[in-house]
Amino acid sequence: MTEERFRALAAAYGADPDRWPDAERSSAAAFLSARPAVARPILAAERRLDEALAAYAAAEPDSALRARIVAAAPRERRVGRVARWLAGAGLGLGLAASCAAGVAAGFAFAPSSLSHMLGRPAPTGADLSPLASPADDAAGG
Amino acid sequence: MRPSPGTAGPGDTDDELVRRAGQGDAAAVQALVARKLRRVLALAERMLGDPAEAEDVAQETFFRAWRHAPRWRPGAAKFDTWLHRVTLNLCYDRLRRRREKTVADPPETPDPGPGPDRGLMAQAVGERVRLALQGLPERQREAVVLCHYQELGNIEAAALMGVSVEALESLLSRGRRALRVALADLAELD
Repeated sequence: MTEERFRALAAAYGADPDRWPDAERSSAAAFLSARPAVARPILAAERRLDEALAAYAAAEPDSALRARIVAAAPRERRVGRVARWLAGAGLGLGLAASCAAGVAAGFAFAPSSLSHMLGRPAPTGADLSPLASPADDAAGG
Repeated sequence: MRPSPGTAGPGDTDDELVRRAGQGDAAAVQALVARKLRRVLALAERMLGDPAEAEDVAQETFFRAWRHAPRWRPGAAKFDTWLHRVTLNLCYDRLRRRREKTVADPPETPDPGPGPDRGLMAQAVGERVRLALQGLPERQREAVVLCHYQELGNIEAAALMGVSVEALESLLSRGRRALRVALADLAELD
């Protein structure tokens, strides 16, 4: 990097290398290392201006402004909320129905599946009695 | 995985928050305001030099953002750049109106503020800088505000201003030189 370019960058972007163009930052750093007697006074002059500019702090947004802006933001439509609630309710009902169906199917098919696993014919309705002896299962195996 | 409605965190991209804000997600709205309002207000204040006008501009910028949010297309532009563009347009509208009014009714010369021998407080220096910035030609002021205060990269700032990077650097150099002259009494800036 030439001295002229180093001066031009400092004049445009100030003393902080973080503000300099990405593509030229490393060559500017190399120039600073190679010719500190030239580079440092250039940066020092720009740093004084940077420090003065930093004294102009921007105001914090006040809460009233913030509230006006938030109040004007899009709101979720009531129809959308209702639809979402209904969708949620529908899902709940669907799950409940599925559970009920699952229980019913369990009653309908579990004996045959069980018997299949145990390797014996499907039991009749009377065999579903909770009073059926576990020994019966063992005897059938 | 998309964040659930009702929550927003620093990991959410601007695009994601805008999309959700457009759907009326209150948490996304709050997050966008927290993330961008200070930045928009600072831009307007330094361009206009008037806090009350800057508030009006910041408010209008966000109103436009809310109207635009339901149609926001991620990836088409950076939301931050879009906000800067809208803010600058609104500032230029006001500066134009101000110029028209000034022709009819010239203002009094602004008070340059206290001299260095009075022991300037930081606030007074800030006021001097505000006046010095307002004394710059508008394009030089825009370049300095975008690059120095808003910390935009040179390519993004040049694109926003519709000029080449070389032209941006020229505006910056001339702007900073004029500021140095205007503030020379503060701390031997020359």
